[in-house]
Amino acid sequence: MIGRARTVAVIGLRAVAVAVEAHVGPGLPSFCVIGSSGTAAHEAALRVRTSLTDLGVALPARRVLVSLAPADVPKAGARFDLAMGVAVLAALDVIGEEALATTALLGELALDGSVRPVPAVLPAAAALPAEGIGRLLVARENAAEAALVDGLVVLGVASLAEAVAVLRGEAEVAPTRPPAAGAAPALGGDLADVRGQAEARRALEIAAAGGHHLLLLGPPGCGKSMLARRLPSILPPLDREQALEVAAIRSVAGLYVGAPGQTEPLLDRVPAFRAPHHSASSAALLGGGTGIARPGEVSLAHHGILFLDELLEWPRGVLDGLREPLEEGVVRVSRARGLVSYPARFQLTAAANPCPCGGGDGCACPDDVIWAHRSRLSGPLADRLDLAPTLAPLRVGELVAAAAGESSATVADRVARARALAAAREGAGGIGGRNAGADPAFLRRTARTGALRVLADAVEAGELTGRGYDRALRVARTCADLEGSELIETFHAMEARAHRLQLRTGNRAAALRRGDRGGAGVRR
Amino acid sequence: MSVPGWAAELAAELDGALVRGIVTCAVARPPERLRAVLAGRLARNASTDVGEVVAELAGRAPSGVEAQVERAAVALLRDRARVLAVGRPGYPPALATAWPELGAPAWLFVRGARGDGGPAVAVVGTRRPTADGLRTAHELGAFLAAAGVCVVSGLARGIDQAAHRGALSAGGTTVAVLGTGFGVDYPARDGRVRAAIAEAGSLVTEYAPGTPPRPWQFLWRNRIISGLSEAVVVVEGLTRSGALHTARLAAAQGREVFGVPGSLHAPASSGPLALVRDGARVLTRFDDVLELLCTSSLSSDASGAAAERSHRPPEPTAVDVSPAAGWVGELLGAQPAAPDELAAASGLPVAAVLAALGELGGRGLARHTPRGFVAGGD
Repeated sequence: MIGRARTVAVIGLRAVAVAVEAHVGPGLPSFCVIGSSGTAAHEAALRVRTSLTDLGVALPARRVLVSLAPADVPKAGARFDLAMGVAVLAALDVIGEEALATTALLGELALDGSVRPVPAVLPAAAALPAEGIGRLLVARENAAEAALVDGLVVLGVASLAEAVAVLRGEAEVAPTRPPAAGAAPALGGDLADVRGQAEARRALEIAAAGGHHLLLLGPPGCGKSMLARRLPSILPPLDREQALEVAAIRSVAGLYVGAPGQTEPLLDRVPAFRAPHHSASSAALLGGGTGIARPGEVSLAHHGILFLDELLEWPRGVLDGLREPLEEGVVRVSRARGLVSYPARFQLTAAANPCPCGGGDGCACPDDVIWAHRSRLSGPLADRLDLAPTLAPLRVGELVAAAAGESSATVADRVARARALAAAREGAGGIGGRNAGADPAFLRRTARTGALRVLADAVEAGELTGRGYDRALRVARTCADLEGSELIETFHAMEARAHRLQLRTGNRAAALRRGDRGGAGVRR
Repeated sequence: MSVPGWAAELAAELDGALVRGIVTCAVARPPERLRAVLAGRLARNASTDVGEVVAELAGRAPSGVEAQVERAAVALLRDRARVLAVGRPGYPPALATAWPELGAPAWLFVRGARGDGGPAVAVVGTRRPTADGLRTAHELGAFLAAAGVCVVSGLARGIDQAAHRGALSAGGTTVAVLGTGFGVDYPARDGRVRAAIAEAGSLVTEYAPGTPPRPWQFLWRNRIISGLSEAVVVVEGLTRSGALHTARLAAAQGREVFGVPGSLHAPASSGPLALVRDGARVLTRFDDVLELLCTSSLSSDASGAAAERSHRPPEPTAVDVSPAAGWVGELLGAQPAAPDELAAASGLPVAAVLAALGELGGRGLARHTPRGFVAGGD
């Protein structure tokens, strides 16, 4: 007699349907789990067996074999417990086969038979409708998360006994309703709080409108973090699809499990703001861990902001790992059990002091020292940034007579209009109106010749690399969009060029100094 | 001549007839004309007492100005202005020493609180400063005000206003000498700073209420700026600018003149540098001004001959750029300036400043340094 139940394994964000088969047959009395490697299987066997005993089911004195198929899919954790227990009960004819045909089960069993929540329920649930499965039994704590998926009846159960009663048709559990979308306002505060800093505000607006990467330079205490934290407040809210993607990553990262005090709404429409500390490891930033790699900060910041404060304090090796996600919007993490890729289309916002002494008002460091400081930012990474406004120490704020800044709502409105304009351009290749991902070849066709010449001149002058040219072009496109301009005008390109100028690291300065010395030699 | 009620009200320390005469003169005759009357009296060795001078001038007023005089008086009363006459109590003693030959005004209309005779220093400069110049003016204004020195300037946009604002930010007193009458919005839309100065210091003019701005009035009032002050600091200015005019008048009145040194390449610094060449003191640190105030009082010395010659400013760059780029380019100097400062100094939106910097950078007219943008190519 074979009992069958269905469940789902999740590798990275990829869900794989897993069939659980239980066989009660002749042989020495035993309870054995196969199809899963390592100690996990043994532990699962102990948990499931104990739970069944608690349920009052007398396991016959025969061999009970539970198989998880396909066997070559990595299966870690305790998420299959519930399905295993139910499969055994089906093999014992406690539960009818038809009740399990279109039902999936996910949950960990406690020794007393209660069902515990597990991570990565959302990506698992999302794969079910395509598999022809219309019903999912999960721990109550996981029910709201699973209910985000359309076309799926989600039943939250508290114990194995309740699950059995539901499957036998002896008890009714109301399907969990999908949770309301998170309408929480961005937490970072309002842009109106920021006084002065016109250039940084402009750069922030461009970054928000085009999804460009931003480096805020300024002495300590001038408001770099303050400004960065307000970026989510001017970004357009995520659409449902994006919010689901973000929620799936959070689910895999285990952020929804153990729900007490869960602070993040399940379907969060506000772009994420992640601010890892510079002591974070490469694995924490990019994803990693034993077995199947877990998503890192870059993925948790998907469709949102990754804020790296004190950028120059980050180990270079860690930062260089950002190159791939910055270019491609995904991060691939290779582990012995397999390669996992997570989406990581984040907007990089970094902050740094302009000078080793901090660069405050009394800074008297020579230019050489400052360039040396800047050259700690790797050239390739600098090349992938788009904007580098300099924030003034507060003194200039006073000089400008500290006009109260525009509110986030006002700026968000302009950003939304610019995005709408960009999204309406067919074939640009940008996602959701983000010019940062747009195809340069296409953008060139929306630029005036003069604008292209400005950027070409900059390449010739050694200010821009080839990649820098594309990036400057995208920034220019965003400047044009913010103004509601069809074409990239010359002055849009000029503004983009000025933004890029400020991104230079020391390399060019060194070349300049050599040039200066050479020039002086000639004059002598 | 009967003295109307308003004259008595305005005359806190003067007699009503004198006030009436002053208002009549101010309305009927531009103060510049006073020179002719004075010259006549000096030539025939007559008294130069302000009462007699004003009476003579008022006597020549055309008939039919009565209504205008009344209106001006009402405006003065509304502004709570005071009327001061040279040689009478309340008139700034430092200025009084310049009467009559050195051009002290015969009367002043004063709005605002400040009336004491503490030390005063003028901080003046161009209306088109560099960002660095603005910073110097602002910081110097704040420094002097914090030291208890009254900061005198001309309320023009640029250096003048930066100095006023600096003094206000330090909670000190500052005096703005206007080239217009009260009740005229000039510099346009700067009412807030005017109100702040009237609150913390005073506004001074010799023109009747409502007198519109005319170019010569600003040059003419410069003698009041220098006359009220013990020293004049020229922060920035071209070699033929109002600020240098003030410095010249100051030297003639025996005031000390300071020039703020700047780059040889910065047109805005050509004025102060010329002053220094001609004998003015170099401002090496803000303390220099205070030290001078401690050691001297209104003594004339070598700077008396300062700045008599004129010289040509450096050739402006003859490259064709957009107006915004030209405007921003003028603000750039040898000292690095951040786009924010340039935006504040030029009044352009920061996006336009950045575009201008991109343009100037492409033309080799601006260069990016770690601290900001400077003039010139790589």
